Amino acid sequence: MEKVIIIRYSELHLKGKNRGWFEKIFVVNMEKSLKGIKHEIHRLSGRYLVENFEEKDIDLILSRLKKVFGIHSYSVALKVSSDMDEMFNAAQKVCSDSGTFKVETHRADKSYPLNSMQISMEIGGRLLDNNSKLKVDVHNPQLIINIDLRENDKALVFGEMFKGAGGMPVGTSGKGLLLISGGIDSPVAGHMIAKRGMTVDAIHFHSYPYTNMQAKEKVLDLAKILSSYSCGMNLHIISVTHIQEAIHKKCNGDYMVTLLRRFMMRLAERIAETCGAQCLITGESLAQVASQTVEGMTSSNSVIKNLPVLRPLCGFDKDEIIERSRLIGTYETSIQPYEDCCTVFLPKHPVTRPKIKDVEAEEAKLEVEALINEALSTLEVLKI
Amino acid sequence: MIYLDNAATEKPNENCIKAAKKYLYDDYYNPSALYKSGYGLHLELKNARSEILSHIADDNEFSLIFTSGGTEADNQALFCGGKRGNVVTTNGEHSAVFLAVNELKQRGIEVRFANLNADGSVDVEHLLSLIDDKTSLVSVIHVNNETGAVNDIFAIAEKIKAKNKYAMVHVDGVQAYGKLKYKLTKDIDLYSISAHKIGGVKGCGALIKKKNLQIKPYIYGGGQEQGFRSGTENVFAIKCFEFAARDRYADLINSFEKARQLNKILRGALREDLFKVISSENASPYILSVAAKGVRGETILHEADDRGIIIGTGSACSSNQKKRFSRVILACGIDNQTADGVLRLSLSPTNTAEEVLKAAQELNEIVGNRKNIMA
Repeated sequence: MEKVIIIRYSELHLKGKNRGWFEKIFVVNMEKSLKGIKHEIHRLSGRYLVENFEEKDIDLILSRLKKVFGIHSYSVALKVSSDMDEMFNAAQKVCSDSGTFKVETHRADKSYPLNSMQISMEIGGRLLDNNSKLKVDVHNPQLIINIDLRENDKALVFGEMFKGAGGMPVGTSGKGLLLISGGIDSPVAGHMIAKRGMTVDAIHFHSYPYTNMQAKEKVLDLAKILSSYSCGMNLHIISVTHIQEAIHKKCNGDYMVTLLRRFMMRLAERIAETCGAQCLITGESLAQVASQTVEGMTSSNSVIKNLPVLRPLCGFDKDEIIERSRLIGTYETSIQPYEDCCTVFLPKHPVTRPKIKDVEAEEAKLEVEALINEALSTLEVLKI
Repeated sequence: MIYLDNAATEKPNENCIKAAKKYLYDDYYNPSALYKSGYGLHLELKNARSEILSHIADDNEFSLIFTSGGTEADNQALFCGGKRGNVVTTNGEHSAVFLAVNELKQRGIEVRFANLNADGSVDVEHLLSLIDDKTSLVSVIHVNNETGAVNDIFAIAEKIKAKNKYAMVHVDGVQAYGKLKYKLTKDIDLYSISAHKIGGVKGCGALIKKKNLQIKPYIYGGGQEQGFRSGTENVFAIKCFEFAARDRYADLINSFEKARQLNKILRGALREDLFKVISSENASPYILSVAAKGVRGETILHEADDRGIIIGTGSACSSNQKKRFSRVILACGIDNQTADGVLRLSLSPTNTAEEVLKAAQELNEIVGNRKNIMA
């Protein structure tokens, strides 16, 4: 009696002729996540089977698979021969000690002498005979014991189904560049977009020496957590110190954040072009802070030439974002007290509803292209 | 590279490490073991204990417990001494004392904090006014680790005892041992010291305790350190400590004089329009606290670091007002803006006049430039 893991995928069955391509990427991602652990992945019709692993590794395997997008649900099953006694033994192991249950059988092997209903009745009957504390409830059972009878005289017997990460396999929806700050929001935004199958690279801006190395380390740690979902990523790091200094020196200080965001967007678009990203992703949530107003977004969007900007958190409240960050495991790192952007330059009364005309007038005081190029010269790329 | 963060840790004394190496490779035995080699180490530790102690105290009056460092020594003193009534300390303590007394507060002991003078020394009158017959422990730092202010702990201890002879007196002497000349008096019950501040290795320190003083053990186990601090002793680190202390005390007066000279050069070379000196003239010469007006300390630290000059700071880059400024600097009555620019330059006898001059020039330049940018 061997333990195996049954993987069911999310929306791939909706795909048509390109389904094979989706599935191929799906398998590659699962293989990547299980790298270094002994296992084999086999395709069954409509699902995958992870098998031939060592039983001690099962928790590790499950914890890795939980992060693979495209998995709708999974179950730990017992693989036995289709002999009735063996199937019963397995069903007994899967079944709880008391409570209500029902047995459901799927019979891929149509040559089997009993049909699905008969198999369910036989196994269910034996379970009842063996344990007086069990009761059958076909409408609302506490546990469903599934028997999946395969063509090769094998049967998979399993109980509970666990929810997978959902979404689409990473790598099937193009590539995006996430502006990651070190706060709570941006890693959540990156996670949401990766969930829809997008490969995510990240870009981080720092202002050393006004900020410290710990702030950068924190972003690295966040990127590592995120990359465990997104099958790896490149982290692009750029210094915006001189841009901040120039804004501070020459422009109305109240426009610091508005202007800096425009620079960040420009830099991100340049990096996106070189790394093949087709969109930018930000962790902005409407009205969360002074700069995250629709006017603020208009101002930062207007410097982007070609790419769409995805803001998946726009409709979320802060507590909803925090809840998600706890779920994906970035919260503890995000709340470490190191800042990516030093408070030295933050205005007391930032402009909340910037008018493009005013912003452009402020920006005209700067040598935008020279500052962009200078910032680009500080680029550092880390493979995570 | 010019290293001026010696109050954080000093470069280990190479000769001491060489001399102590044999306790890693050859004499690796457990000093509690009964065979000859183990017993030999037990005697070595006994010598070390007595020698480290003898530099500042009479070993008929005091005994010494080796610990994992100054922090553990402070914690042992507070948790094993502050048992009832109230505990009195100052607003100028190192976090090892400050956070430990806060924990005592959580455990239901009343904690009272004495105000500081502008240079970081304790306001003695205020301290004494906090002591009553319910005070079980008073903890006062000897040399303030941020400003270098020296508390006259001997006079203070005498006054404490005059007010409440049962109050235990603990002194955190981490920045004083091996740097200033003094002898512990009978009024001091507990005194913490650390090895790596004088050229020893990290992870080694000691709590000096008046003989016959009854305190409970802090770490329980095999009964090492007369039962006060169990755990197999770090013989290598302890021997390094012994040798480093021997070196330091052999030349204490000259080193002090040298630090005084270097301190004077630094004070003179830092531009008055850019820096405000916080340390008073009679502070420990090993520590000079200055504030760059209008520029954040951490920014200067990073820039100096990039130029090969390592210094300390009193502020961190955080918008959290409580965490951003040093609580000790604020307790000296310094305003937030000045506190934001605090730098700590700390010396060792191995620093040279050229080094401190060069550092001062670079710091002048960095702060001057930064002020232009920020203006």
